[in-house]
Amino acid sequence: MTKRAIGTRLEQYTDGEQAISVENLHKSFRLPTEKSFGLKQAIFNALRGIKGYKDQKVLSGLNFQIKKGEFVGIVGRNGSGKSTLLKTLAGIYYPEKGKIIIDGNLVPFIELGVGFNPELTGRENVYLNGAMLGFSNEEMDAMYDEIWDFAELKQFQDQKLKNYSSGMQVRLAFSIAIRASGDILLLDEVLAVGDAAFQQKCNDYFASLYGNQTVILVTHSMENVRKFCDRAILIDKGKITIDGSPDEVASAYENLWK
Amino acid sequence: MSIPNVFNKRNRVLLKELTKTDFKLRYQGSVLGYLWALLRPLMMFAILYIVFAKLLKIGNDIPHYPVYLLTGTTMWSFFTECTSQGIQAIVSRGDLIRKICFPKYIVVVSATLTAVINMLINLGVIIIFALLNGVTPSLSWLLVPFSLLEIYLLSLGIAFLLGAINVKYRDITSIWDVLIQALFYAVPIIYPISMVADTSIIFAKIILLNPITQAIQDIRYNLITQETVTTWSFVNSPFVKILPIVAVVIILILAALYFRKKSKFFAEDI
Repeated sequence: MTKRAIGTRLEQYTDGEQAISVENLHKSFRLPTEKSFGLKQAIFNALRGIKGYKDQKVLSGLNFQIKKGEFVGIVGRNGSGKSTLLKTLAGIYYPEKGKIIIDGNLVPFIELGVGFNPELTGRENVYLNGAMLGFSNEEMDAMYDEIWDFAELKQFQDQKLKNYSSGMQVRLAFSIAIRASGDILLLDEVLAVGDAAFQQKCNDYFASLYGNQTVILVTHSMENVRKFCDRAILIDKGKITIDGSPDEVASAYENLWK
Repeated sequence: MSIPNVFNKRNRVLLKELTKTDFKLRYQGSVLGYLWALLRPLMMFAILYIVFAKLLKIGNDIPHYPVYLLTGTTMWSFFTECTSQGIQAIVSRGDLIRKICFPKYIVVVSATLTAVINMLINLGVIIIFALLNGVTPSLSWLLVPFSLLEIYLLSLGIAFLLGAINVKYRDITSIWDVLIQALFYAVPIIYPISMVADTSIIFAKIILLNPITQAIQDIRYNLITQETVTTWSFVNSPFVKILPIVAVVIILILAALYFRKKSKFFAEDI
């Protein structure tokens, strides 16, 4: 087994201007070439001198910086590397090469309802999900009612989560997630949840972030890019194609198909 | 993962919530619920007691043999539960690992803590049984937690090491299932170690150098009867005597280092 290289990801608190700086970031995944996993295959591969995997390059040499207080949209087609970038920024994946410096407390919102369990009640899930987001029990107690009010689901709090509709689950998850406060927020397409009325609430929340917080938003909605972002970055095949104004990037994105 | 970070507040809350969830979900949907934590080991004990003590007449020369046997089976269940839950922890909690960034050892520890809770409940039962059986409480009972800790640390070491390998090679789960069956017979739980010593002293010594044997025999010695054969009394050389303890420490350290190295890639390898 060859050794995998590891780049650096630092969280350092300074009074610099940049919230995030990314230098020459590379990331690839090892995809197994044989269908079957397991020890047997590993031994065969070792005997035959086959690596047993191929490297799939996902991010190849990204460079960008995000100032404190900036609202930056990241757009790109499916498979362009947006989510990988976000997960690498969040520290879920390790950078393979390059350097990420994060100045401030970073709160990732990569997915809603992490840890939600269908067998537990709404109440239990709120505490569990809160723990995942880094809240203590006391903090959860304090915001418990607000969460249910925002989700408009108070009457179901002692029902098991499996009895919630998927829309209700997402609403609950979203209501917990927006309690998370940090210096930098990473958001991955969580805008489109619930019905129109609830979406309005969500949009109000995003609008409230504008100007107060550093936000990185990964989205497919050019409407949101134009509405919320100061700046946008278009990623294609693991490289930054355009880093500029929301309008410029949104029209370039729309032209990808033409 | 720097050392001061290991027990910060966020990690403690996470550990607590995950353990609570694991424990709640374990007996979810069963009529008897948490009672199963007690019933399972007691039933296993009943079977072994009928087969070995009553039918095969093993252990009649050991005082308080039923309690002696129950202690062995309980500690063995603790070890098997701890290791098998711990090994699977990373894979079964893959959803969390792929979505949030947190120290991965937390899922392994939380999975094993459920086994610790079960063991403590059963320890209460053992003590009640012991008192009913006429064992007199003594100060040596206070030494029992050290042996429990030893079994726990050994299980944790195994869980870290095999759990990390299991991410890539799921065969580990099945291999461990078989291995643990074999290991059961290598530990004097259903048979007294004196039976082995009658045939081969060397073989008995080897069995006593297994950390699990050493810990279980110590618990029986301190809790039930000082007639128990222990590693300390049976093995002469002071350097050989401490081998089980040394083995536990080495396994735990190596496993933790290996786990830390591999944990960076769990999110993409699961």
